[in-house]
Formats: sequence, C-alpha cells, structure tokens
Amino acid sequence: MRQIEIRNLTFAYMKGADILKDISLSVSPGESVGLVGANGAGKSTLLKILVGLNPGFAGSVTVGGIPVEKGTLPKIRQKIGYVFQDSDSQLFMTTVGEDVAFGPRNYGLSESEVRARTDRALAETGITHIKDRPIMRLSGGEKKLASIATILSMEPEILLLDEPSIALDPKNRRNIINILNRLQATKIIASHDLDMIMDTCSRTVLMGDGKIIADGPTDKILRDKALLEENSLELPLRLQ
Amino acid sequence: MSKISSAITEIHRIEDLQKRDQWLNRIHPLVKLACTCFYIVCLVSFNPYDILGVLSMGLYPLILFMTGDLSITDCLRRVRIVLPLVCLIGIFNPIFDRAPMLLFGFAVRAGFVSMLTLIMKGVFAVLASYILIASTSIENICYALSILHLPGILITETLLIYRYVGLLLAETERITQAYSLRAPGQKGVHFKVWGSLAGQMLLRSMDRANDVFASMSLRGYSSDFRYRKSGIRWRAFDLLYLAVWCCAFLFLRNFPLFEIVGSLFV
Repeated sequence: MRQIEIRNLTFAYMKGADILKDISLSVSPGESVGLVGANGAGKSTLLKILVGLNPGFAGSVTVGGIPVEKGTLPKIRQKIGYVFQDSDSQLFMTTVGEDVAFGPRNYGLSESEVRARTDRALAETGITHIKDRPIMRLSGGEKKLASIATILSMEPEILLLDEPSIALDPKNRRNIINILNRLQATKIIASHDLDMIMDTCSRTVLMGDGKIIADGPTDKILRDKALLEENSLELPLRLQ
Repeated sequence: MSKISSAITEIHRIEDLQKRDQWLNRIHPLVKLACTCFYIVCLVSFNPYDILGVLSMGLYPLILFMTGDLSITDCLRRVRIVLPLVCLIGIFNPIFDRAPMLLFGFAVRAGFVSMLTLIMKGVFAVLASYILIASTSIENICYALSILHLPGILITETLLIYRYVGLLLAETERITQAYSLRAPGQKGVHFKVWGSLAGQMLLRSMDRANDVFASMSLRGYSSDFRYRKSGIRWRAFDLLYLAVWCCAFLFLRNFPLFEIVGSLFV
C-alpha cells in the first residue's frame, strides 16, 4: 500500500496562476524521497498541501489511505510531521523542552508519556543539554535540531522537511544528515542542497515550473548534468 | 550596542535571574503571584493621605531585595521608563487639593501628601512586580495562571507575546541595520521611510503569525492550550511564606507600624 498518493494535483494561490500543475506522485512506507527544483518550482507548496496548509487544490491527495480534506486533518497531522524552513516559525514556546512537549500534550498523552517522548526526541537529536534553554538564546543549528525534535516527539509515520540544511554550518549540517539517516519514518526532503539529498534519499523527484520533470533513483537523477542544468540546478558539489 | 540589541540582552539577563538557584526562585509560582497581587491590592487600598502607612508597605520589596540577592540598582535601571509615568499620576494633586495638613510637624498642602502617596504606591507596585518577574519565569507564571483556571486563550496569548517580543525585536534590528548600512551618516531612520518600514514590519509580522499558527495547528493545537509544569511541587515553606506575608500586609494595612514602633521608644 502507498503511504502517500497524489493524483492529478493542481493548485494555485491566485486564480489563473497555477503553482502546481497536474502532479501525480506515490510514496511507499519507509521511503526517503528528495524533492529538488529551482526556486518557485512548487516544492514547499506541495509539502504544505500534504499537511492541509494549502486547501483548495484540485485532484486527490491521500495520506495512509485518508484523503486530505478539512474533516480529516487532525488524523492526517498525527501521521505527518512538518519541519518548517524557518525554525523561528516552528518554535513558539519559551523553552526547548516546552516546545518539544507541546505536540504530545495536545494529543492528550499522559504527563509521564509526554516526558518520555520529550526526552527521547531530545536524545535522538542530541540536544538534551539545552532542554531548559530559552528559544531566543539558541543558535541557528540548535534551532533546527530543536525544530526536528518538536516533530519527533509526536512520533510521526511521515516526516516532511523543508530545506533542513539551510544556513547551517558543515558540522550541524552533517549532524542533521546523520539524524535523518537514523530515522525509520518515511521522509520527503525538499532542498537545494543536492549533496544532502544524495546522502539521505534513495529516490529523487525533480520539479520545475509546477510539474514533476523527473522521478527516479537519486544516483541517476543527480548525476544527469544536462537535466539538472535545464532546471536551473547544478551537479552536487562532490560530482563537480 | 544598538538599543534593540540592548533590549534583547536585557531580556536574556532577566531570564538568567529567573533561573538562579535562590530561595525566592524556588517558591511556588502561584504563591509568589498571589502574594504580589495581594500586596498590590493592600497597597492601593491605603488612604491617599496615609503616607506613613504606605511607606511601611515598602518593607516587602525592601526585605525581598535584600534577602533575594536582587540588585535595586539594576531594578531601577530596568524600570526607568515606567517610573516617570508612575510619578506623573499625582502631579496635579498639589494644584487642585490645596487644603492644609500636617506632615512631620510641617504644614503642607494635602495635595502634596496625596501626590507623594500615589508616587510611593506606584513605585512599590512596580518593585513588587519586578521581584515577581525576576524570580519567576514566564512559563511558571502561566502555570500559576492555569492553576487559577484562567481561560487557556489568555495564557497562550501571554506566552506567545513573550516569545514574539524577542522575534519582533530581532526582526526590527535586522531591518534597521539593513537601513543604516545603506544610509551612512544618518542618525536614526528618516521620517520619509517610517511608513514603508512599519509596513514591512506589519507584513512580516503577519507572515510570521500565520506560520506560527500553522506550526501550532500541525501539532494538534485546537484553541485548548495544554500547559503543565511537572517540576514544581508544593512545599510547606511555600504556604508559610504566603501566610506570613498576607498577615504582614493585613497588619500593615490596619495598624500604624511606625507609630507602634515609635511608641516603644517614646
């Protein structure tokens, strides 16, 4: 069974200016899919549609067999964790620990389970030592790790990550890659960091002008210099 | 350091104060909140001409500043913007209330006494609030409010505003830095661009608010804010602290402390 099934998806923020055009895509459980493409290709928009942040699309989108529509959003959002591009949008509580505990508490888990999940998520991301630190005092890398921890504490089946390595130093970037590789959940990672996609995803979907241009093994797509350049991308640095 | 950076640093410093391992910081947040509220209620209920009574209420902040290892200088520096406003409250009293009365054996205008009383009330209330803020984190204050069953939406707003102040300050600093780098030699922001800067701030704020709300919704938020603080426990000392201060406030409110102490020596 497919975990994510998108059929003939079309979406526009304003009438007549389609951002996504007749997209069809399937993702199986446990798959790690890289979503690449130039700025404005529709990567973030597609991710937001999967969690119901962009309603009003045409076509069908199902997550775990449940159609994405207003009435099913609470169920869908329990299955999917979405990591925002900008960590400051993701983190709104005052301390890291409270932010990580926010999701589990909202789903009505017992306080002991909330604590256990919070501690687990912090340990998985290696930030247990900043549990009580105010969000305002985190570095960019710590904010990104905290953002991921806030999602991991909800133990989602699917993880959507929007530019997880943006503005990170090499060490933090490598740390995020290692964390992502350890996670068993299905992952869709939208990024311009093609080296990171090579390290984390077995499959890559190349988007351009709101359409899927190519879909296949990462090794094949990210080595196709002509295809990448046609879509305003370049070969990953390690292949240049 | 720019004014905005200083403001952000000040927030960080107050957070450091809140995290200190002091006896005052360990008291249950509800006790501190209740104590502060009761103190302010007692304080404002004094007769406007009872200057000695109000003065005796200064013992509460004085004792806590001394025993809680808080710096009165830092406090006055931090509340320096509020203090002139507090002092302004009674500034017209001496003009309108010209009746004569005795103060320490001197004949003065009643309005002058009531102005001093009002100023003292304001200053003491600000000091008491500062003590609460300097020894209790915003989450713990919100936890105390949740115990009092205040509407969840108010608690959420309080927490989010606190978080948002930091973001807004950082955003403002970015905008003003970008402006000053392209406007060398200018002092401040020229009035011609106030409109567009304010507009940018508003648009960015709205974007950010949308994103934050989306992030909350994605993690199960549905206007029912669930906030718990598991690390806080009630201790006998907390109840003792509350009882002692409440009795002290009631005593100071109903009996003239300075007269009683004076009568012991005269």
